Amino acid sequence: MTSTRDWFGTALVEIAREYDHIVVVNCDLAKATRTLPFKEEFPDRFFECGIAEANAIGVAAGLAQEGFRPFVASFGHFLTGKFLEIFQTVGLNDAGVVLVGTHAGLAIGRDGPTQMGLRDLALMRTLPNVGVFQPADGTETWQMMAHLATDRRPAYLRLCRQPLPEVHTDGYHFRPGIPHVLRAGADVVVFAMGGTVPVAVEAADRLAAHGALAHGAPANGSVAGGPVAGGLAAGGVSAAGVAAGGPAARGIAPTVVNVSSLPVDRETVERIVAGHQRVLVVEDHYAVGGLADELGRIVLGLPDRPRFDVLAVPDYGQAGPPEDLYRRYRLDAEGIAAHVTALLQDAPR
Amino acid sequence: MRGEPTVAAQRADVARIARLATRCRLVLLEMIHRAGSGHAGSSLSCADIVSVLKFDQLDPGPDRSTGDVFVLSKGHAAPAWYAALIVGGDLPAEEVGTLRALDSRLQGHPDRTRLGLVDVSTGALGQGLSVAVGRALARRLHGRNSTVYCLLGDGECQEGQVWEAFLYAGAHRVPGLVAIIDHNGSQSDGAVADILPLCPLPEKLRAFGWHVAEVDGHDHGEVRDALRRRDRDGPSVIIAHTRKGHLGPDRVLLNGSHSDLPSAAEYAAAVDYLETLLEAHE
Repeated sequence: MTSTRDWFGTALVEIAREYDHIVVVNCDLAKATRTLPFKEEFPDRFFECGIAEANAIGVAAGLAQEGFRPFVASFGHFLTGKFLEIFQTVGLNDAGVVLVGTHAGLAIGRDGPTQMGLRDLALMRTLPNVGVFQPADGTETWQMMAHLATDRRPAYLRLCRQPLPEVHTDGYHFRPGIPHVLRAGADVVVFAMGGTVPVAVEAADRLAAHGALAHGAPANGSVAGGPVAGGLAAGGVSAAGVAAGGPAARGIAPTVVNVSSLPVDRETVERIVAGHQRVLVVEDHYAVGGLADELGRIVLGLPDRPRFDVLAVPDYGQAGPPEDLYRRYRLDAEGIAAHVTALLQDAPR
Repeated sequence: MRGEPTVAAQRADVARIARLATRCRLVLLEMIHRAGSGHAGSSLSCADIVSVLKFDQLDPGPDRSTGDVFVLSKGHAAPAWYAALIVGGDLPAEEVGTLRALDSRLQGHPDRTRLGLVDVSTGALGQGLSVAVGRALARRLHGRNSTVYCLLGDGECQEGQVWEAFLYAGAHRVPGLVAIIDHNGSQSDGAVADILPLCPLPEKLRAFGWHVAEVDGHDHGEVRDALRRRDRDGPSVIIAHTRKGHLGPDRVLLNGSHSDLPSAAEYAAAVDYLETLLEAHE
């Protein structure tokens, strides 16, 4: 289990050995963003701008215009907070800067919403020439870094603080804009990004294995009193279904998709969604402006429009242990599984 | 390389820049008049600075990647730069009527993705100096000796990012970087001194580690000499005292307004004045 910011720090040094146009612009967060090993190995290619993100973004744009490939790193919340600067000096200048925003989502936990990258996707998605990249594991981080090292376009690399398991096999090949199906199932497609990908996979695997929710796993208690409890009780993984040994006994087998870069390829999404009657987007981000909006624009335009639902952060977020936050916002495996189950109780559109 | 020119040659050179600056004023006023839109006062206040840069200081180099860089951080003065490009023959004169028009290369604020003769896209104030710093750092890393010039407004210096960039470049003694502040004392809502005074500006900039010079921003010789005497090992800033709407020694357009447009009569009078000035130059 390794965080994508750790994979990023390791990969950055490795690709910088190969490509000497890679430089780093730092905002006093080299330790937290994992650019410190780069600084130690390439001090001449490391520019410390201090706690001054607006200037750092401009300096990075200037370096990019002169042929370098700058990675300017800070917490995603701070970096994308300088939106006017990114819009103009990176976007409108078409400057090939890689904006690296770490601490995506709720995972920073006890520091609370002033440090949480929860609206960074919404901001970066508005810029027509800025690609968004969020790896789900080490395999994908390495491949994205290889892509970003040689690509010249502006990019936003969104990274997680929490350690993540590997969800991709060695044969995985990252392609920008192309979502990757990690679990092929039926009825419902769960789209996820970055840190929520392994959580969605876990939820799907639990559901597919034996309808964990209906079998009274200890964790069920945390959701039993919630608004979706009724849905669970009447779920497709009911005791009757298990006893009958029918399809429901096998539990629900949702399709799980990793959408690791935006803008997303429309045809691939349409192909993935085809045959499913329900779509659930799970994101560690505000419900507005992120992955759900990206996919909704495609899915809701389909002729056989599936039911579309979103599981995301509906408020500013708050401080607390990460596991408590993810449970509260139903962005843990149980919450996702419960939401999928409830979604299946509603008639498809 | 420029040697030590004689006094007579220097005088002739300054007179040449003055003529070109007057022609720039005619072109930029025509642009704004035909567009019915644009910042005449701000463009006029920096027309002499831009002319010294364009017609004397900026070395385009054998290609864009090695030559000097010009960042117009006060992007609303774009007509001054476009006019210098037209007067210098880099842009066709026919484009004078396309300012702020749909699909034009001459956007209301400079856009390098539409016009390659713009080094950095600007418009929202306060951002250009940071990009200039980045470009100067890159040039040092590449081992190039070219200079990055950045023209800022004085009101623009109220933006915090400008001081982040001043702080960085001063602390790191970034070479090959010259900032010029078009100190016309006026901003959108009135006088800089009333809205948020910058004074004491030279002392602040010195405290930030910059080599500071103060000049009459309408005196081409003074501007040129200050640019030539810049610090070669660290960043330099020239505070150029100017007047918004400056047409010539005894004439200001629209009482120095930030964004008012000249009426047809005011435009005609300004053109008459500038043409008379041009004849006097000849």
